[in-house]
Amino acid sequence: MKTTRYYKTKKITVNTLIHMFLLTVSVSCIFPLIWMVSSSLKTQETIFKDTSLIPKEFHFENYYYAWIEGGFGRNFLNSIFYTTAVVVGIIVVSSMAAYAFSRLKFPGRNLIFYVFMAAMMIPIPGSFVPLYVLLTKLHLRNTAFGYILCMINVGLSTSIFLLKTFFDKMPKELEDAARIDGCSKMGIWWHVALPLAKPVLAVVVVFNALNVWNEYVLALIIFDSKPLMPLQVALMTFQGEFITRYPLLMAGLTITALPIILVYLLMQKYIVKGVTQGAVVG
Amino acid sequence: MLFKKLTCALCLVSCALFYIGCAGKAPSSSSITVWHWMTDRQQAFDELAKRYEKQTGIKVNFELYAPSDAYSQKVRAAAQGQTLPDIFGILGEKRDFSSFIKAGHVLDLTSYMDENQGQWRKKLFAKALAINEYNEGNSYGIKPGVYGVPIDVMTIEMVYNKDLFKELGLNPNRPPQTFAEFIDIGKKIKAANKQGLVSGWGEVWMIDCLANNYAFNIMGKDKVIATIKGEVPYTDPDWIKVLTLFKEMEDSGVLANGLVTMVNKTAEQLFANGKAVFAFNGSWCVNVYNGMNPKLNYAAMLPPKASDKFPMTIWGGAGSSFLVNGRSPRAKEAVKFLQWLTDNDQQAYLAENTRNLPSNKESLKKIPEVLAQFADDVEFTTHPNVWGVSEFPAVIEALDKGIQSIIIKERTPEQVASEVQKIKERELAKKR
Repeated sequence: MKTTRYYKTKKITVNTLIHMFLLTVSVSCIFPLIWMVSSSLKTQETIFKDTSLIPKEFHFENYYYAWIEGGFGRNFLNSIFYTTAVVVGIIVVSSMAAYAFSRLKFPGRNLIFYVFMAAMMIPIPGSFVPLYVLLTKLHLRNTAFGYILCMINVGLSTSIFLLKTFFDKMPKELEDAARIDGCSKMGIWWHVALPLAKPVLAVVVVFNALNVWNEYVLALIIFDSKPLMPLQVALMTFQGEFITRYPLLMAGLTITALPIILVYLLMQKYIVKGVTQGAVVG
Repeated sequence: MLFKKLTCALCLVSCALFYIGCAGKAPSSSSITVWHWMTDRQQAFDELAKRYEKQTGIKVNFELYAPSDAYSQKVRAAAQGQTLPDIFGILGEKRDFSSFIKAGHVLDLTSYMDENQGQWRKKLFAKALAINEYNEGNSYGIKPGVYGVPIDVMTIEMVYNKDLFKELGLNPNRPPQTFAEFIDIGKKIKAANKQGLVSGWGEVWMIDCLANNYAFNIMGKDKVIATIKGEVPYTDPDWIKVLTLFKEMEDSGVLANGLVTMVNKTAEQLFANGKAVFAFNGSWCVNVYNGMNPKLNYAAMLPPKASDKFPMTIWGGAGSSFLVNGRSPRAKEAVKFLQWLTDNDQQAYLAENTRNLPSNKESLKKIPEVLAQFADDVEFTTHPNVWGVSEFPAVIEALDKGIQSIIIKERTPEQVASEVQKIKERELAKKR
């Protein structure tokens, strides 16, 4: 009897502690988002005086001004287009490359793979000037195509690494079976490798979508035309050298956060699988 | 089947990319393109561009690239790719400016400044122009002349809250004149349990700025320059005196709590909300405080002098400057536009709408009272960019961090002076 009570008490205490810890983590994750939404409904003056999360007066017009002054309409579509194009590009190229590195035998395979991995070590700002000069010489500067190519390049190394690790663990018997059924190498990649890699692909999608969606420095450097700029550059117009228009910035941030939260929610199931099933393939 | 699907998809993607690949627009040959980073001035610039087009028929495109660090990267990349616009600005030290001039990216404006008996030059604050000027025998090896046009000026000094002065029983119209008076106020602030001076000393360059102000006041410009040249050591009694001022400020209670790690945004917020008696900030603060608390009752003042030997000197000069691309086919038109932009009416419009100090001396009539107080002190300004010599970044960092350690009572002024001197000697040895 004593033992049962002891275990019950222990279970309740441990569960309470775990839940307290998880609640603290959740609150610390959600609080900045709530603060962002709350600040987006205040004025420039009250944002510094009224620290409460629920503003005394709600200024929904901040969303309208952020949309209009930031020129969000065009920039929003640009960001969606760049994110989609880059993510599709990365998935096609990295899955093919990772499959080739994992399954095909060709001279210099390891060397080329390590070169790709080495590219992960180069900080992106370090490549801005060479990229700018290269794009100018190729007449691709100030074009969406040039930007998409650069961003695909930025995301390739990590994506190849993730997918290759997955393909390495994939049982060869599955490929043999497909080969007996008459599948070519491309067919195996398409019908066997890619469907199995869905959880990792979800991680690649979310990781790269976040990266492209939040990128603004490279866009700012290679684009001169305002109509080509992504959403994040438009956000920067609220952040001055000395003055930041916080309500509009927060309203803009809320608008920009929504699509990426949506992507994350849609992919959540696969991401959890991708993280937990990494060791079990096939 | 798979290949058909893939080919179709790739064709669609290629068509889309080809279409959008052609979307970048080349600027019109008759228009002038200006690159800048000044978010708060974009609307005013656009309005002035409209007026200029109406008057001359020449279109001016002000293209904003913010934030400023990303803008700097864009300008550097564009310089390497030879794609700089007709007019642009450089953010950074004078050595960066010099490298752009040496590479032929910046037009020498001396002849334009001097035409018509120097009409253009005379309109501008000499101190502001000096930032963009190279004198005979400058250490950067640049041909003497003017290479940039200031569009506004700035000064960095102190501001004080008049209402808090009243609460402390002080005359709100008489700020402290001497360092001793300043320290006395510190004691009153401590007794009243209020916060004293706030500033962005977490971003160390602002400490460097105040330390230099007092160095000029205590030992004069020549000795400061001699120190930078390595002729006077940082262990000199005058430098120890400068460092000791920070210890005295901390001991008296005139410095706010947490000042050494404070970023300027926090300092501005504290001062604007009436939670600090003093702030050390640039003239841009007028615009900032107005946005945070339009009713704030404050005034500008020079840092209280610690010595009568030399005048108190503050950092200031050109706030933002525009340069003309030396390779631009529209360079002459670009110069004409800058002449128009710095003319009385346009400068008055900019000052009124952006609350920045105009670079044109004749446009000071319409500016707010506090801004006028900052403008009055332009004559006391100096800036490292006009000294002709630059201190090693490692030495500046050691000095600034040393002052921080004095404030938090980790080191004594003598210890800091000795450490800074060691770094100075190491850097000098490397240079040799």
